[in-house]
Amino acid sequence: MTGSPDPGAAPVEAAASPQQIGVQVSYGDVRELRGPLLVLGGADGVGWDEFAEVDLAGGGQRHGLVLEVDRDIATLQVLESTGGMALGGIRVRFAGRPLHIQVGSGWLGRVCNGRGEPLDGGPPVTGATFLPVSGWPLNPVHREPPRQPVLTGLSVIDALTTLVRGQKLPIFSVPGLPHLALATQIASQATSEGRSFRVVFAAMGLTHADIAYVRDRLEERSAAGELVLLLNAANDPVIERILTPRIALTVAEHLAYAEGHDVLVIMSDMTSYAEAIREVSAARREIPARRGYPGYLYSDLATLYERCGRVQGHDGSVTVLPVLTMPGGDITHPVADLTGYITEGQIVLAPDVLARGIYPPVDVLSSLSRLMRSGAGKGRTREDHLDVAAQMIAAMARARQAAELAELVGVAALSETDRSYIAYRTHLERDFLNQGPEEFRSLEETLDRAWAALAALPPAELTMVSTTFLDRYLPGRKDRS
Amino acid sequence: MSGTAPVSAAALEPVRRTLREAAQREAADILEGAARQARELEDAARTEAAGILAAAAAEGEAAARAEAARRSARVRRQAHELVLAQQNALRQDLQRRLREAAVALRTDPRYPELRERLREQCRQVLGPAATVRESPEGGVVAETGTRSLDLSLPVLAALVFESAPEASSLWRR
Repeated sequence: MTGSPDPGAAPVEAAASPQQIGVQVSYGDVRELRGPLLVLGGADGVGWDEFAEVDLAGGGQRHGLVLEVDRDIATLQVLESTGGMALGGIRVRFAGRPLHIQVGSGWLGRVCNGRGEPLDGGPPVTGATFLPVSGWPLNPVHREPPRQPVLTGLSVIDALTTLVRGQKLPIFSVPGLPHLALATQIASQATSEGRSFRVVFAAMGLTHADIAYVRDRLEERSAAGELVLLLNAANDPVIERILTPRIALTVAEHLAYAEGHDVLVIMSDMTSYAEAIREVSAARREIPARRGYPGYLYSDLATLYERCGRVQGHDGSVTVLPVLTMPGGDITHPVADLTGYITEGQIVLAPDVLARGIYPPVDVLSSLSRLMRSGAGKGRTREDHLDVAAQMIAAMARARQAAELAELVGVAALSETDRSYIAYRTHLERDFLNQGPEEFRSLEETLDRAWAALAALPPAELTMVSTTFLDRYLPGRKDRS
Repeated sequence: MSGTAPVSAAALEPVRRTLREAAQREAADILEGAARQARELEDAARTEAAGILAAAAAEGEAAARAEAARRSARVRRQAHELVLAQQNALRQDLQRRLREAAVALRTDPRYPELRERLREQCRQVLGPAATVRESPEGGVVAETGTRSLDLSLPVLAALVFESAPEASSLWRR
């Protein structure tokens, strides 16, 4: 043996360099563990928001994000929290950049945890592109205004608070109401006319029973390869929830802008997300603002909600439907309040509507879709849609007054017109607002039901609908005239 | 029987007859009314029963359809999970083989050159004061103060594996 190199072998230079494959220096000077925070010394050159892997002495691994860098001291939030960790033997490796994920259609049909790791027994999700989960700020002039509806198959939403492609429309609820059933029904039924539709469902802080319900209800869509499920259960690491909506939005943005799908991102429950933000803020000893939430909660929520929309030169759209529960039904709660500033309307669920046996328990008079005019009407839904919706809401307001009056003086003492408004409301609640949790209604059927309810009113009261539409759509119109 | 005189009884006979006839007519009316009401009730009950039956049948049909859809979706989920599990098994197998191949590089004639390059790499990253030692599985591990750099062959193999997204075509269809 001369030790001469094998002439057939490739030269060593052909291999990737260690930098190219991402070798990482590991740091062992862990100074402090505090709640979800880990303080590391001697961390030169580490940047803010860098992603890190934390190797434990016993062989386990956790993940972290850099929250603060002060000279060579870096503070990380450990996604799985620092419970059970002990100083000594911990090594931290930094990725050299914020958390990136591989994106692509490989996500469709997959079920992952809040950090994007598979829960379905499959291999890690791979894709041709790496994108940062924090997203790129989008030039505002490159945005296109939302247009065309997303039809949910739910009468109350499609007719009265139409969801529009690229809109952000939250569901405001109270603990104990069926907001999850509603969000799941929307996720399983929603479509955009004639276009490919995909759903990304980010569950945060849900119980296992709720997760099982969501999985079962969305099975059909998942099996069809139209759904991405990210599940962070109530007993999963709280801090992980900070990443869950960001991963969901990153996956959605790629599906929408690179692959041309219309994507609906459902984020439930944003109150759990905000609690995770509060936990980190408290551990960092920041000055708390309202109800202990940090002062930057508004801008943090905006970085999520503002990632929806449509972009010039790209076919797809990202529509965001956050679900949030208001503790004690308090609509001034910071999460609901700040969400309301950013989003374009709201769907409000009310316990008294549920008490009257109506599902979905939407409080029609408190709900609003600010972009409805861009997504409904002639050429988008149906020519009479906007007039009918305006008339229905006006009539609901009058019916509420009539019902309040009836409680005082009795129905018999009401005028004929007021009694017709009460009849209208009864008809509307029974045949229009109330809908089965698995029932899909086409837009045509929804509007026909709306007209059937309006027919309970004297024609003279239908002042917001043009006579052309009255002649065309009002049931029994010809018999009356 | 009656306390009236025979003359009075005869005189009252038409009254009795009229009263009896009126009572009989009334009884017949009541009987007829009851029969009619019974018929109506029966008809209403039949209609209601038919309605309930139809609603129950429709509800049952809808429930069965939903259950069938759920069951079919569940079966598809199980099938999908089987495929995913198989893909994962292939991936892990590939990872294991890559690791074995990397460790086997120790016997490659070019290994000493590679090890030297890795040593050099460690000094570049951690500085000239770094202590570099050979890893038992091949490659090197360097340390200086609280910082360390693991360039052992299995670690390098794992990093190559993870940094090549196109590798996923090997375990996916």
